Formats: sequence, C-alpha cells, structure tokens
Amino acid sequence: MSGSNDKDKFKYRVEIQQMMFVSGETGEPNAETTGIIEEIVRGQVIEMVRLPPFFANLIRLTISQLLQCTTQAARRGSRSISTDDLIFLIRHDKAKVSRLRTYLSWKDVRKTAKEQDPGGGAGAPDPADLLDDAAAGIAGSAGGPMQMKQRKAKIGLPWEVASYFSEQVPEREEDEDEDEVEANYATLQRLKNADERTRGMTRDEYVHWSECRQASFTFRKGKRFREWAGFGTVTEAKPNDDIVDILGFLTFEIVQTLTEEALKVKEAEDQVLMQSREKSRKRKREKFLFHAEEGRTAVEARHVEEAFRRLQTPRPKMKAMRNFSGGVVKSRLTLV
Amino acid sequence: MSSLPPSQWQRLQTSRDDVSQHSERTRTASVDTGIDMGDKEEVMDPITAVFRQRYSQYERTIQSLFRTDRPCCAAPELDLSTLELTDDYSSGQVNGTGNSAPDIARPPARQLDDEDYDFDDDEDDEYNEPKSKGAPPQPTKASSLHSQSSEPSLGNITEAKKSATATREKLEADRKAAEEAAKSALSTMFFTLENDRDAMLEQQKLEESDRQVNAEANAAQANAPGKLSSANLGASSLTLKHLIARIDAKREKVKVSDMELRNLMSEVRKNRSKWANEDKVGQEELYEAAEKVVLELRALTEHSTAFLNRVNKREAPDYFTIIKHPMDLGTVMKKLKGHQYKSKKEFIEDLNLIWANCLAYNADPTHYLRKHAKAMQKATQNLIPLIPDIVIRDRAEVEAEEAGAMEVDAEGESDDATEPLMSSRGRKAPGTKKARKGARTEEGTPEVKPPTVNLLRADSLPPGEGSQGNLGQNGFLTPLGGTPVPNSISGTSMSQMEIDHDKVDDDTNDVEYQAWKTMTKKARAKVASDRHKLLRGNRLNPEEPALLRSRAGMGRYLKNEEYHLKRIQENDDSGKEGLSRNGNERLVDPAEGEDEGPLLPDYYNPLSCVPELPWRLVWHGDGDDIDLQDENIRLAPKGIFTQPKSELSKRMDANIRQMQDTRKLCSKIAVIKQMQVQTQMYSNQFTRYDPKEFIEVDAEDFVVTEAGPIMCSTVSRAALQRSVGKIFFHAGFEEFQPTAIDAVTDIAAGYMQNLAKTLGVYAEAPQHERKFTPEEMLLHALYENGADVEALETYIRDDVERLGSRLNVIHERMKFHLTELLRPALTDTGGDGSRMFNDGSEMFVGGDFAEDIGDDFFGFKELGLDKEFGLSSLSVPLHLLQGRMRSTFQNPNASAVVSADGYKSPPPFEPLTPEILKKQVGLVQNFFLAKLHANNEEALIEDEHLQGKQKPTKPRLPPTGKISMPRKRPSNSHGGNSKKKKKPNPPPPPTKTAPTKEIPPALERTLSKISEGGDEGNGGMMSPESLVGGGA
Repeated sequence: MSGSNDKDKFKYRVEIQQMMFVSGETGEPNAETTGIIEEIVRGQVIEMVRLPPFFANLIRLTISQLLQCTTQAARRGSRSISTDDLIFLIRHDKAKVSRLRTYLSWKDVRKTAKEQDPGGGAGAPDPADLLDDAAAGIAGSAGGPMQMKQRKAKIGLPWEVASYFSEQVPEREEDEDEDEVEANYATLQRLKNADERTRGMTRDEYVHWSECRQASFTFRKGKRFREWAGFGTVTEAKPNDDIVDILGFLTFEIVQTLTEEALKVKEAEDQVLMQSREKSRKRKREKFLFHAEEGRTAVEARHVEEAFRRLQTPRPKMKAMRNFSGGVVKSRLTLV
Repeated sequence: MSSLPPSQWQRLQTSRDDVSQHSERTRTASVDTGIDMGDKEEVMDPITAVFRQRYSQYERTIQSLFRTDRPCCAAPELDLSTLELTDDYSSGQVNGTGNSAPDIARPPARQLDDEDYDFDDDEDDEYNEPKSKGAPPQPTKASSLHSQSSEPSLGNITEAKKSATATREKLEADRKAAEEAAKSALSTMFFTLENDRDAMLEQQKLEESDRQVNAEANAAQANAPGKLSSANLGASSLTLKHLIARIDAKREKVKVSDMELRNLMSEVRKNRSKWANEDKVGQEELYEAAEKVVLELRALTEHSTAFLNRVNKREAPDYFTIIKHPMDLGTVMKKLKGHQYKSKKEFIEDLNLIWANCLAYNADPTHYLRKHAKAMQKATQNLIPLIPDIVIRDRAEVEAEEAGAMEVDAEGESDDATEPLMSSRGRKAPGTKKARKGARTEEGTPEVKPPTVNLLRADSLPPGEGSQGNLGQNGFLTPLGGTPVPNSISGTSMSQMEIDHDKVDDDTNDVEYQAWKTMTKKARAKVASDRHKLLRGNRLNPEEPALLRSRAGMGRYLKNEEYHLKRIQENDDSGKEGLSRNGNERLVDPAEGEDEGPLLPDYYNPLSCVPELPWRLVWHGDGDDIDLQDENIRLAPKGIFTQPKSELSKRMDANIRQMQDTRKLCSKIAVIKQMQVQTQMYSNQFTRYDPKEFIEVDAEDFVVTEAGPIMCSTVSRAALQRSVGKIFFHAGFEEFQPTAIDAVTDIAAGYMQNLAKTLGVYAEAPQHERKFTPEEMLLHALYENGADVEALETYIRDDVERLGSRLNVIHERMKFHLTELLRPALTDTGGDGSRMFNDGSEMFVGGDFAEDIGDDFFGFKELGLDKEFGLSSLSVPLHLLQGRMRSTFQNPNASAVVSADGYKSPPPFEPLTPEILKKQVGLVQNFFLAKLHANNEEALIEDEHLQGKQKPTKPRLPPTGKISMPRKRPSNSHGGNSKKKKKPNPPPPPTKTAPTKEIPPALERTLSKISEGGDEGNGGMMSPESLVGGGA
C-alpha cells in the first residue's frame, strides 16, 4: 500500500495524523487510513472551490443585485472566490461561521499589527491558537485587549441584517451578538473536549499534543496546498491568502469531524466485538492482574469509510422536494 | 273566526285586489251555510258526524302545506298526534250520537270550506247570487260590430237579424258573467291541478289538429303552388294587384305557405278580414262568424278532443262502413279555408253531422264519447245563433239584382249606390230571401277532398273500440261487446237516456267551476305544459332555463309582500320601515296594466312554489343586507385568505415595520451625505422614501353554499404569493423580480402539497396499519419533508425574534448616526453660524421668508428632516444647511491631509483690507479699491472660503468638447463683490491675457474656458477667475 506512488500521492500524512490525534485518536493510524482521509478532504476542498463559481456565485449575484449593492455587483460575475463565498457554503453551521469570522478578524488585526510593527510579527499568536483563544475571549497575548479591540473589525456578511439597508452604520464596540454568544458556547465546548482529552496527559504528551494542534494543510505550505487541491485546474483564479487560510481551517474541521465520527463507528464496533468476546470468554482463560490491555487499535480505513458514508447520507431536507414526484434523487457531495 | 285563520285565505287569493271584499263575501256565505248545517245537524247520523270531524281535521293540515314564517300568517303548530288520536272513528262512532262530537270538531268556518272544495255539492244557489251581482251584463259593447253590420240589411230581415243579435248579446253577456263569476270564484275556491293534465293533452291535440289542417290545406295546393292571384285573396286583389303579381312571379322563392301568405295579406290590410272577397258578397261575414264558431267548439277541449281530426281507419277499421259521411272539426276548418261553404246551412249541417256520426257509431249509451258528443251538440246549438244567416253570392249577380231593385225601391238605392264607394270593404250582407241559388254551383262541391296528410299521432282517440254498428244515422243500436244494453231501444229514447246519464255523472253542475274551467283551460294547459317541461322523468330537468318572474308576476309578488307587511305593522307596534314604497309601485303599476293570467290562482305558477324568504329579513335589513342565516347560501367567512393572527405573524409584521422605519432613516442619511459632497442641491433630487404599511387584503365577498374548506387555486396562490413576498421582505429584500417570487411561490406550494400528502399517507393508512397518534403523524410528515420542530423553532428564534432585536439595535444606531450627521446644522448659534451672518450675505436678511410664504422649502418637510431639526417651522434654506454640512465635512478632511503630509500649511492670507491694500503694487490698487468699495470697505475673503452658492461655479467644458453657448455672467450682487485673487504665487496672468482686454465679458469667458480645456499642463493654476481678474 505504501509504494512510492502513494508517497507522492499523499502529501499530508503527518498532518492528518496529528489532526487525528488532536481529535481524539490515540493510536497510530496507518497510511491507508490517512490516505483515505486525505482523499476525502481533497474532494471536499475541490468541491468547495468548485462550487462558488457555479453555485454560490449565482446566489451571491442575485443577492447583491437585489440589495442593489451595485458596486459589489459590478465586481461580481468573475470566477474568483471570495471569503463570503466560502462562508456562504457553511452558513448553516453557525458556530463554525462564527469561529471563522473571529479568526478572520483576528487575522486582520495581526496583519495590521505586522504592518505597523514589522518586528512584532513574531509576537503574534499562531493562527491555530488564535482560532480558539480569541473566540474564547482570552485574547490577552499581544498588545492588551483594549488595543486589539479597537482595531478589530467585524467581518460583515452579505446576508446579515446590516446589509439590509443602504447605509452602513459605524460599528459600536460594545454590542455582542447573541449569535456570538452561542458560537462561543460551541467553542467552549470544543475547548472542554480538548481539555478532557489532555487531562491525563503528562507534560511531554501535552507538548506533543499542542504541537499537533498546529498541524495545518496550509500553514506555511501554501504552495503545496494549492497544487494538492488543484488550484489552477479547478479554478482559474488564484485564491488569495484569506481563502487559503479559510480552507486550511475548514480542512482541519473536516479531518476532525471525520475522525470523531470514525471513532464513534469504531467504538460501536468494539462494543459489539466485546460483547461477542465476552460470550466466548468463558472458554478462555481468566483475566490476570496485570493483564495487558490490548493496546488501542487505530481507526482503520473501513471506519473512516463508514464515517464518511454516515456523513454523506442524504438528509430528508435534501430530497424533500422530490417526494411524490418519483425519479432519481441525484446526490451531490455533501460538505462535511 | 276559524281554526283556519283568514290569513290563510289571503294567501290563496293574494293576487286579487279586492281581498277584503271577497273575504267578506265568503264570510257571509259561510255564516249562512253554517246556520243551514246547524239545522240539518239533528238528522245527521253518527257516521256522517265522524266523517265530518275527520274531514275538518285533515282540512286543518292543509295549512302545514303552506308553511310560512310570517308572524301575521303563522300557522298554528300542527299536532299530528292529536290528529291520530281523534282519528279512530270507532270511538267517534261509539259515543258520537251526533250531538257533541260534531259541534266541537266543526268550527263554523268549516262549512265554508265544505262548499268551496266540495264540487259535487248541489248547492249552487249561493254562488249564483253573487255571480249575477258581480257581473252586470254589458251587451252594447259586445254586439256593436254585429249590429253595425246588420244595419244596412234589408228591412224584412231586420227582425231576424235583431233576434240573432239579441241571442248573440245574450251569449256574450252570459260569457262575461261567467267569466266574472269565475274570477270571483277564484278567490273562494281551491282548484286542484287534476284537470290540468287533461287540459294540456287536449290543448296539444288541438294544436296538432291545427297543424294538420294547415298542412293539408297546403298540400292541396302543393301541386300548383303558384298563383296567389288565383287564390282567393278577396278585395286585396284589387289594391295589391301588383304586389300579388310580383309575389306570384317569385312564388318558388317564397318559403311561406299560401295560407300564411294570405294571413299576411290580410294583416297588411288591417281593416279587411282574410275572408273578405270583392267578388263574393257576404262571404266575409259568414266565414268570420263560422270560423269563430269552429274555433269556439275546438276550444272546448274537454269535449272536443275526439272530434278534432278525422277518424283513422286504423283506429276503427269498421268506421267507414258505418259512417258514410265522416266529418270532423278539422275538415270543417279545412273547408272553411277552402271557401267551400256557401251558406250557414251547409256549415251547420256539417257540424251536426259530426255529432250525429259519433252518436251513431258509438251506440252504447254508456260510451264516454257520447257524453262529449252531447256536450258538443249543446254547445253548437248555443253558438248557431251567432252565425248570420247569409248565402254567398257573386257580386255581379247581386249588383244585377240590386240594379233591378233600385228601380223598384228608390230609397234603398241611395244606400246601395254609395256604399261600395264609401267603404272599400264593400261588404254587404245580402238578404236571406234569394238564398242559395248559384252559389253552390260556383265553387267545388264540399265532397272534394284534398289529399290527406296523415300526421301520425299515437294518442289520437279511437272512436270506441270493438263496436260494430249497422246503421248509425238511423239510430239502430249495435250491441257493444258484453254490454247488457237492450237492443231495441229507439235512437231518440236512447239519446234521452244518455242525456240523463250525462247529467248524472258530469260534474259540470257547479256552474262556477265549470266556467272557470273553460275559461282558464288554455292558460291552465299552458301552465301545465310548462310545468311538464320542468321535469324529466321524475326529476327536475337541469337543462331547462331558469324560472324568472315576469314583470307582472314580480309586481304581484311584491304586492303580496306588502300586504303582509302591512298586516305585520298593524300587529306589531314597533313595526319598522318596510320595503320602500315607491320601489313597489314601479313594479306593480305596469303589472296591473298587463294582467295576463288573472284567472289562474297564484299556486298555478311554479314560481309561487318557491319557498318564501325568511320574513323577518324584510324589515330588519336596510335593503342591501344579505341574509346570513340562510341555510344554503351565505357569505364566506372573512379572513380565509389572510394571514391568521398569531404571535409569529405579529412579530414578523413588527420586524417589517421596523425595517421600513430604518430604511426611512437610511434615506435621510443618504440625503445628508449627498449634501456633504455635492456643491449644489436641487429640491427634486431626492426621491422621497415613504413606505406604506403592508395590509393584507382579503378576498372580496363571495357566497358559498356548503360548509367545508373553500378551494380556489388562483386565490390561494395569490395569498401564498403575498406571504412569500412578505417573507422576502422580512429577509431583507426591498424589491424582487416577479419571476423570483413566482418561482418561490411554486416551490412553496409544491412543498406544502408534499407535506399535506405525506400527512395524508400517514392518516389514511388502513386501520390495522395505523400505529401513530396524530401528533406522531405530524412529526413524521415534518421529518420526511426535511423539517422538524427544532428547525422551526430555530427559525423562529433566530430569524424572527433575534432578527427583531437586531433590527432594533440597528435602528437605534441609525438614529444616532443621523443625529451625529445633523449636529453641525443644529449648532446654529455657534461660531460657524454667526460667522456666516457676519459675511453680510444678503441671503440671511430674509431668513424667515420661507415661513411667510408657507412654502415647504426644497421638500424638507416631505423628507421628514424638519422633525430632525426639531423646528416647528423650517425656515432654513436647504443650501444653508448644506453649507454647514459641507464645511464641517470637509474641514476635518483637510486638516487630516495636512497632518499626513507632515507639513504645516502656510498661514492663511490675511483678508484684504484697505490697510493692506495700501502696501500693494500700485497697479492693482485701483481694482481692489473698487472691490472693497463694493464690499462696504470690509475685508475681502477668498473664493475658497465663500459658501457654496456664493461661489461662482467654474465653467467646464462639456464632454462634447464644444462650447455651445456663452456662459452667463453671475449677477453682481452675488459673486462680483468677492472676486479677488490672492494666490501663493502672485498672479502672473495679466501679461498673458492682456490682448483679450477688449473682448466683451461673455466672450472672455468662453476664451478662458478654451484655454482651460486646452492646456492642462498648466497644473490647474490657470483658473478662469484669474483670467478675469487679470483682465480687469
């Protein structure tokens, strides 16, 4: 399985392993598993990048037309991807959108900070950390909260309330949306999960874990990512930095979701196995005191496949309009 | 007075005017008979008493047939149980010794009904009396025509004539009287509809025979259809000679039959009957009378049916062996039309032959046709006097005779001579004396028969079946099959017997009823056939056109209603205003003029059987109220097609309103922002944003008949579309394309249908497979269609409630933003504003004039900005406001730019004052001195610092590159006083532009423009102002 071809083919083995570890996988997933995950992620990315021009672009066009944002509309129609397009694709996942927006705004802050103080760029936190920390409201690392907050620009989305009106209202700092509160809650939940995973870790293990958290498809390997995702063949436009970052964030999410789902699958499988084993165990020898736990086996390819299948099961929402009309329901790749 | 209240009576007779009169009459009559019956009562046996009792009880139930809700006529509750109880007449028989039972059970009014309904009663005298009272004979009018015609006749026949006219008068009078009687009877009698079917059938037969006669007559002439002139058109042939000739020439093309043509002709010449003939003296009179008689006889359809047409051989194979000279009314009519009768006698002979034939053929004394024959015979006898005894003669003959007579009698001459000249009718009744002479020879014999056209009629009556008479004429009796009739009775005695027999079993003894029957026969037949048409089989015929009340009928109906109304108002003290009177009169008046079928009672009209409207409606409503209590037709409830009131819709509506408000703010902000950047504003530049509130319009009033869901796809779709539009707006779309809303509406409709179908699948599962509660079904259906309660809740929470709060926040912010923007304008008395005043600009002198004019300057009020200023009257001109806005907007920008450059801006030039001017170069001193002078010796300010309007706008080259017209110089009061140049580099231009000195100002300007457009390399230093300044 691990021929030279595969090595060429799969470029993110390490990253995926790290991500899976962060997501709760303890064992060492083999190359096959990571390969499958990588393929899935790649498919998703391509879908995401492919969709905007054909699908989201259309929607956006209508929206902007209807809202009479003529200047925007004039710029539309190109095949380039904007951050709004990507966010639009995941708009239903409020928590994700919120995290993404926070990430982007913090990224903006970081950029301006870098520009103003070219030397201070090193002090800026890693984007991956930014994701969680900022959202959790910790955000205390660079320059103090006041300074940061002043510059922090909110990322407006075209389908938000503010864009209902022709005039833009200057931002006021104090208002925090209920949305954000909710999203923060989701983020806190994630952090809590992470906390639990790391609870029993030794210091070294934790260091390793936090290193793994920084794994990314895109961070400092933008070129590789572009090649890997097939930019230039799938889309004509050259995606900008923001897009790549967002995609990096989303790919991480995908891997995480897949892993979690796969773990669930495996757990269920293990349970079944355990039960059958317990039945047959009577014939086997007794457990002795220091009976070595059979080390946790890694998630296998089939688990990942099953997880993917589960995630791809068409929800009734997708085919509701086809009810009573017969015909074949064409399913498209669902974004995880 | 009675258990049957008088109102019931009025219901039956409501079409009559003289209601009270009749009820009065009937009342008296009933009282009389009541006494009579009371006298008889003692002899009454118990069985009769019981029968009477039962009769009265059942009589009372008639009321229930005519149910009405009217308070005035409300029938007492019909208690059927009591009816049943008293019904067993064994008990009545037991104790009914005749004393008590009849007294109790028979209220006095019953006798009245007895007479009215019991036609077999032989108590005619009560009716005869009022009949003669109510109908005074009117002989003069009726017989005027006859007397007129009889006048010129010769002296010796006048007596005979007179007797004839007398009988005629008498007959007419009789008929009139009978008619009157029948009319009055109508109000007192209840006529059954039983005879109507017969009447209808008879009428049908009559019509058919008419057709047949016509057809045969036509067929007679079918061989030689031409020659209208040969046809006897009477006197018309003289006057209409050419027309007739023409018609004859084109006869083939004329589709109508000869008979019809002749009728037409006679119609054209109104004063001549169709029988008139110039050449035949007396024909008109005889034939007119004869035709009348035949029609009369035929109209007695009750009896005449059998005699209308010739006896068919198929129906009575032996008929022609017995009857040698068959005759029937149809043949008589045919002969009349063929002008085959020459005298009254011939005609009457033929008539009598009909009845005689019948009596001869149907020898059986009980045969039903004999009855009819007798009746007809009697009628004929009555009618015969109507026919003048005339023999038709040739005019030539008559004239010849008269010429002879003239010599004898000089008196008669003058009459005769003048008559044909005076009246073109020229009809002259010849005496009877020289009766039938050449008449018969002239025309064909009556035996000549036209080819028979047999219209096959299934219902033609056979004249007795199975009878085989030997000799009808002589009165020999033929034994009819199985009838035990003595063979040897002579004809006369037999006929006598028959008459007796007829009298017994004919119910014609009731004269009034009889009269009514005959008079209304035609009308009844018509009504019956109309009624017949309404039904097919045993059901209503849906193909039939709707029943409509005629104008007269409506009038009668309204009158009826009004009558009841009056009664109610009498009863009811608080009776309100009824139907508007004048409305009724309008309909009633023409109705009375028309008065078409007065003899028929109301219930003959099918329309009268329409259930009456709820009575209360009449005086509760104001006329255009629609009755909602009606069981069948009612207005659909309101609000089916609007959004039901719910918490969600309330919130959404609130959100929408909030959005509109915020948009209003936005438009204001936009105006102000525009003010900041634009140099000049126009009052019509801004379109006003004034959104209307969304109001859901319900469907117009419509009427439904059934309970249950109202389904109308188009209206429903429209309602759905409206809801979709609302959701669109709620989602932030201010406008949308119709195609978009159509598409979404379709999708939504499809989705809803799917949802309902899914629910239906669950709900309609067979009983044994049904395992869900309704709630579960709903949840399942939702799930199958990609929704669940959670999603719905999320939608409401996030997209409605939270949206509302967000909108509120945004609205507040917008408001804040607006006030921020407006602040510079509001700080009026501050330094900025006072400085403006110090400018001495004339604009401010008349600061308040806007209010004086009462003008809404620049549509400020319209934009709603006046409220923002908190000014009760807006007197600030727009440009002033704009000036403030603009200056405050631009100044910070300028300072920001400066600070960005890192250089300090040079200190501003001092304003030019006379003091400073003194230090300047002498060349310019004069110029500036003049300027200062114009400015009242005050400091001159730079152009840049002038406010918007005062600043002379810079001339620009239009995009075409052509200078179309010279620019107008701004008025002196304005810009002239502030023209001044003080640039960082002291103006070099004077030398350059010196040659243009002489050019008039306008041209100067244009030149400067050209130069400006021409050399841009000048770095913008070259402003037109500088040019002008240099030139001065």
